[in-house]
Order: sequence, then structure tokens, then C-alpha cells
Amino acid sequence: MTTLATPDLATVTSGISIRHLDKSYGNLLVLDNLNLDLAPDRVYGLLGPNGAGKTTLMSVICNHTFRSAGTVLLDGDDPAENAPVLARTCFIREDQAYNDVFSVGAILGIMPGFYPSWDEDLCRRLVGRFRLPLRRSARKLSRGQKSALAIVISLASRAPYTFLDEPYLGLDPTAREIFYEELMADIAEHPRTIVMSTHLIDEAADLMEEVVVLHQGTVVLHADVDEARSSAFVARGRVDDVRAFAAGREIVAEHALGQILSVTIRGSVGPEEEDLAASRHVSLEPASLQDLIAALGIHDLTTALTQENR
Amino acid sequence: MTRSMRSLRLYLANKTYVVGVPVMTLGLVVLITVLIGLVMGIAMGLPLPPGAEQASRTNIGPLTALPGFLIGVGVLAMNRNFAMALAFGSARRDFWCGSALGFTATSLVTAVTAVALLAVEKATHGWFVGIHALDLVVLGSGDYVKTFAMILMLSLLSLFLGAMFGTVYRAFGAVSTVVTGIVLAVAIVGLVAVGVWQRAHLVALLADWDLWAIVAALAALVAAAAASSYSANRLATL
Repeated sequence: MTTLATPDLATVTSGISIRHLDKSYGNLLVLDNLNLDLAPDRVYGLLGPNGAGKTTLMSVICNHTFRSAGTVLLDGDDPAENAPVLARTCFIREDQAYNDVFSVGAILGIMPGFYPSWDEDLCRRLVGRFRLPLRRSARKLSRGQKSALAIVISLASRAPYTFLDEPYLGLDPTAREIFYEELMADIAEHPRTIVMSTHLIDEAADLMEEVVVLHQGTVVLHADVDEARSSAFVARGRVDDVRAFAAGREIVAEHALGQILSVTIRGSVGPEEEDLAASRHVSLEPASLQDLIAALGIHDLTTALTQENR
Repeated sequence: MTRSMRSLRLYLANKTYVVGVPVMTLGLVVLITVLIGLVMGIAMGLPLPPGAEQASRTNIGPLTALPGFLIGVGVLAMNRNFAMALAFGSARRDFWCGSALGFTATSLVTAVTAVALLAVEKATHGWFVGIHALDLVVLGSGDYVKTFAMILMLSLLSLFLGAMFGTVYRAFGAVSTVVTGIVLAVAIVGLVAVGVWQRAHLVALLADWDLWAIVAALAALVAAAAASSYSANRLATL
């Protein structure tokens, strides 16, 4: 588990800084003494099982709901009823409510008023690629079309702080690929802070620069994806060969299928490991982000996420 | 564009709904009234005799036709538009101010439409059949200013009442909304009871101030509903 330092609030001038954040609904404590720093212009994957507090965290940051205790700063200012700060955010919820009498075209038509950097060309391209029906009322959209609409608004808004709440729900694989492709292209050209909650860890892994894992309302992991990925690898082969290869190494997860065994091993692959693996007919692969979470010691959480993905 | 204007644009995103329907509702009131006049004319002849024409001035059609729809507009604005405005980075205060401007726009258009229809009604001597849809006792007996003021206040009150219920639901949940409805119903019954009890004073007040007494009472209710809506909106969450 990665521990977070607690810098002086006065030194934080950009990005998102959260200190000792609590959020309760009645007796239910959803966010529990949460501390988190998100540097600007990076893409964050917000991971965690259902009920971990992902949507609540994003809601509190954007002041959609009120915190019970603690401090939230966005670019150094408290976003609570702070119009200039909130104007830098875009947070379309997974269950976003739209006015029933608004068409998709009407909703998109008012967006330039909310976002000065609204990209109309990008909006049109995304509407075309997702085949969004502009004349259809928002309430008649399918689950996938609602997700597509949220993606169009989120990306074309160019909001400096964009929050995506499970943006792929209902999207078919082709549409998800369009989303990943457009997001990557757009943030490469217009860097900004993206916080994306997702259960599709491996599928969205290439988009993320850092992962933040929530469990029971607190941050149990906050790590750079590249660094974290290099901290573990997977060895796969016949049970006996893999056991022999892994002997004396730190195994953090293992999965067996018949005579084939996969183990996630903490550490990096060097020439010695490669030679040994080749001699024993064991294949070595980089750990996936899912494996990585296990490698960093969140075994219970990984089990929960894996079950949810099935 | 100021931040409140963004929410005004959000409110006006479907102009047919927030401007067109109230105008069409008034048009429908006129149409139905004229149709009733034509049916009456089968027995009484057209134009209607003075007695029937005078009786039609006690019609309260516009007063019953408008509020239901406008309350719905207010509720929807404070629920769905609220969720949208916050998603698009608005502060609650700006959203409320923008929506209040929208309510004012809807009410002004509705009131101007009523005055325009009243002018046509007067010019055509009761839509050519001698019946009245807007030249009514309850709207000031053909007085343009009184008709404008009454329709304006009625529209504003309906919209802000809807907004009040919408924001109470957002801030405190369904049970509180029902309790608010019950409290409001009891308050209305209480006001009516006081009016009946003090009817001598009420008659004197109406004699002195004419319809302006009712306009002033409606304005006070608009202010109360707006203040309640604003206060609840500050506590509303998604």
C-alpha cells in the first residue's frame, strides 16, 4: 500500500488536494478520512469495488454533494459554491438526469455557453462516430447512447477537470474503442486532468497515467501506472516448471488451470530471470494492471474487482 | 455571458416547451370558449344575447388552465435542469438566478400573449360570437394593465411553487416534499378561513383596491415561494 504524505495546504497551488475527507449518508460512512493529491494534466483511473466511494468522491470534489468533514481544494480554492472553480469542471454522472423534453441536439447546442473552450468540430465528429440521434429526446436514449452523449460532452467541453463516471456502460466494444481512441488523441493535444472511474481495469489501462484505488471509502493505492507495472511480472507454464522458477521469489498471486499455472511475482525481469525461464519453458509477461493491484497487496480488493468484471 | 445566463439558456433550450406551450394554452382557452359560444348560439342565436355575453365574463378558464402546466415546468427545471447545470460546472446560486430569469421570461410572454388576445377579443366584440375568454371580471374586466398583472403573477406563482417543490425534493427528499404539500394545503385552507371570518374587511379591501389587492397578495406569495425555493436550492444535492 502506498502511503500519502500530507503537505501543507498553503503550498498546493494547482491540481486537486484532499485532506481528511469524510462523507456520511446518515450512519453510513462512505468516505473515511480520505487524503489524496492529484497533479494537474494527468489521467487518473479511479478504481474500486461497488460502494467503495468512487462516485461520491467525484461528487464531493465537484460540490454535487456536500462533504461531512475535511478539505477539498481545486487549484488551491475550495470548490464549494465557488463559481469560477466549478466552471473548470465537467462531471457527467453514470446515471445523469437530463430534462425529459430536451433533445440531444438541444443539449449539445447549449454547451458552448457553459464551456468557453467547447470544441464544436470534435463534438460533431464524436456525434457522427457514435451515431447519436440529435433529434431524439434524452429520455429515449439507450444506455449506450447515454454513455456516448456523456463522452461527447466530457471530451468536447475541454474542461480542465473532467470526471468520467464509468463512461463505457452500455457501449459495445467498437464504441468503447472509439472512446479510448478519441480520449487518447484529445488529451495528447489538449492535456487536462481526467479522473475516470472504471471497472474495466485492463481495457482502460493504457489510458491511465496513475491509478487511485478506493476501498471502504479510503485510498488504498495511489501509484504511477508505469512504475507500478514494472514492479511485478507474470510467469506462466506447467505447474512444476513454474514452481521451480518461482522458488525463493515473492509470489503475490497465482491462478491454476489444469496443469498450467500463472503466478504474479514481485520484482522486475532481468537477464537471469529470462535465462532461467527459457531453460524451464516458462513464459514471462508484464503484469496487467489487475495483477498489479494484487502485487501491491490488495488481495481482497482484487478478488472483489475480478468477481465484478465477470 | 454571465454564469446565470448559462442557466437561463439551459432553461430556454426547448423554447416550445417553456414559451410555446403557455401561449398555446391561452390560445386553447380562447378556442374552447369560442366553441362553447358557438354551441350556445345554436339555441340563443349569434352573436349571443347581452345576458349570456355578460355571464361569460365570469369565466375563470385562464386561471385554471395555466397553473398545472407551469407548476410542472417549475418542478422539472429545478430537478432535471439542476442536475444538468451542476454536471456542467455551475454553482447553485447561478443556476437558481438563471432559472428565475427563465420563469420571468415565460411569465412575461404569457402575460403579453394574454393582453394581445384580449385586444383581439375586444376588437372582434367577443370573437364575433359575443363570448369572452379574457375580458373577464377576474382579470380586470378588460383592463389591459390588470390583465397583464394578473396573468404575470399567476404564472410566476405557478412556476415558483413548482420550483419550491422541486428544490425541496432535491434538498430533503420525497417525504419532506409531501409534508411541504400538506403544510401548504393547510396554510391555504387557513387563509381562506381567515378570509371568510374577516369577509367584511376583505370586501372593503377589494372595494378600495379593486383587483390590485389580489395582485399584491399574489406578489407576496410569489416572493415567499421564490425565497423558499432559493433557500432549499442552496441545500440541494445530486
